[in-house]
Amino acid sequence: MVKTVGIPKALLYYNFYPMWKTFFEGVGANVIVSQETNKKIVDDGIKSCVDSACLPVKTYLGHVIDLIEKKVDYIFIPRVVSVEPKKYLCSKFLGLPDFVKSSIDNLQNIIDAEINLYNGEKAFKKEAIKIGNIFTYDNKKILQSYYNALNIQKEFEDIMKRGYTATEAFKILETKKINDKVFTNYDIKIGLLGHSYDIMDNYISMGIVDRLKNMGVKIYTIEMLSEDQIYYGISKLSKDMFWKYERDILGAGLFFLENNYVDGVISVAAFGCGPDSLTEDYLERMYKRKKTIPFMQLTIDEHTGEAGILTRIEAFIDLLKYKKRKVVI
Amino acid sequence: MKITYPHMGSLNIILKTMFNGIGVEVIDPPPTTNKTLTLGVKNSPEFACLPYKINLGNFIEALEKGADTIIMLGGIGPCRFGYYGQVQKEALIDLGYNFNMIIIDPPHGRLTAFLRELAEYFPQVEVKTAIKSFIFSIKKMIAADKLEKVLLRYRPYEINEGITTKIYEKTIKKLENATTNKEVNTIVSNGIEEIKNNVNTKSKKTIKIALVGEIYMLLEPFTNMNICKTLNELGAEVTKTDYLSDYLINSAFKLPQKIEFKKNAKGYLERDIGGHGLNTVANTVKYAKLGYDGVIHILPFTCTPEIVAQEIIIKVGKDYNIPVMTLIYDENTGSAGYQTRLEAFIDLIERKRMNVS
Repeated sequence: MVKTVGIPKALLYYNFYPMWKTFFEGVGANVIVSQETNKKIVDDGIKSCVDSACLPVKTYLGHVIDLIEKKVDYIFIPRVVSVEPKKYLCSKFLGLPDFVKSSIDNLQNIIDAEINLYNGEKAFKKEAIKIGNIFTYDNKKILQSYYNALNIQKEFEDIMKRGYTATEAFKILETKKINDKVFTNYDIKIGLLGHSYDIMDNYISMGIVDRLKNMGVKIYTIEMLSEDQIYYGISKLSKDMFWKYERDILGAGLFFLENNYVDGVISVAAFGCGPDSLTEDYLERMYKRKKTIPFMQLTIDEHTGEAGILTRIEAFIDLLKYKKRKVVI
Repeated sequence: MKITYPHMGSLNIILKTMFNGIGVEVIDPPPTTNKTLTLGVKNSPEFACLPYKINLGNFIEALEKGADTIIMLGGIGPCRFGYYGQVQKEALIDLGYNFNMIIIDPPHGRLTAFLRELAEYFPQVEVKTAIKSFIFSIKKMIAADKLEKVLLRYRPYEINEGITTKIYEKTIKKLENATTNKEVNTIVSNGIEEIKNNVNTKSKKTIKIALVGEIYMLLEPFTNMNICKTLNELGAEVTKTDYLSDYLINSAFKLPQKIEFKKNAKGYLERDIGGHGLNTVANTVKYAKLGYDGVIHILPFTCTPEIVAQEIIIKVGKDYNIPVMTLIYDENTGSAGYQTRLEAFIDLIERKRMNVS
């Protein structure tokens, strides 16, 4: 019988789903993804852990509970320590399987492999074989899926670099159809800084991506910038940042500031986010000093009132349009 | 060059001793007060943790006092402490201060590399004197910590209210001015003896509490609202699980402490997650096994490693049937809430004991 693996649609799902899916299907498992984030999922998550955890983590727990209710055979909860040499992820990823196990009682059959590329790729490959062995003893097949997964991941990242969001890229990978026309009709460009799990989750970010698009805005997320562009921003720092995604956010933020690549920048962070508190403060100071590009911070939490966020986004866009003389007051 | 540094427990005594030893002028930041906190909070990001805000407050006050060089530690993650210095520097520049900031990144926490890097900033200083004054300052720190351990163990049983605290404060003052090894040893052993002479350990039943959590919160009485004293006054012996001397010695010589932590935390937390998350989980298990009556976990608001630990030690508490309480501190200074919760916690422990016997 084919075993099913559940992947929670939260946290790093938006960065690695194509890779994980390809790998698990390659080794002969069925992949099931939890449903879109909704009120029940967030509520389930909030109820099962300490209140000081951040919203993305609470949401993640909700998704795990959803997968338990879907009765999958295994739930994939990786311990992602590092996805790039000499760069860590936030502490919550380092302890994620332990955190989930403590929060949800009687959690069985979780795949809590350690993904750690801090010292290179060797350990990662070994771990992949270990995961694969749960489903098949054919190591050749596992390695084949491993390389396929890496290729798909590369393809996925390349699609995003052409200006598509993660969700759009998932669709493109599935249908193999690229529609470049979507980018022709916009008034202004905005840099949307933040973790993919904050921005791409339509429920917790209150659909910020779609809202901006409907207002005629072209957005740039950190995934859409090239390595060179991020490095250009990073080179302005006195010390490289040791977290991968925060590094990208800082790099992108400084790149936007130096290049007039966009008309404005919105930074989205979860309430109480430790790493983002420092990067946002740093960026805000730099933007205030230079005074060339408007910068706005949005904090998201478990409140569900959309009006506050919507008003601020609208006001910001109006300001940018006014600045470009697209709106006359 | 007038050097300053952030406060962290007894760190100022040590740094003062060390820099005076090599002939560098030091401006001690004024003791942390509500004013420090206000200054720090005003210029910090909202969700930065309390240590960041207080450090920044210390810097502002020290710069006002005339310091021109700030010494700050860095890091390579995953705790955000490693990037404090860079962001604080920008905040101070925006405030219009003119200063030099030395941020030392200890590669993988090795103390020797730290010293080597530090030496580069003081080319006129002879290495031998520097090492000598450094070793002496470490000795002072170990002595101060030893004294505190005794205080936290015996204060609940003091004969006259406040007497042990007075002895402790007096001894620490003396220690600050000590100049030789012999002097340090005599001062501390006299202090310890004096404390022991002023207590009656048979006066009460013993309640043992282990205090775990983030190191800055453990070390700074101002930020933890003097939790050790409060607990002592409620009649509980306190074991603080992190001291500056332990911490520095462990990171300097790579003692097998980390291995011990990993062993203790096994089954609950499988790896180091930055900050003191692993220590917290490991120590909770350790003291639960040692038969302590309760564990109190303290952390600054938004500290990610400790939040992970917070969730996990709830399970440890259930498994070992030991009361565990977490207290989160932010810039609010009302102490009544903490006092009430500590009282309730001690009541609970006493009640639990009655039920068992």
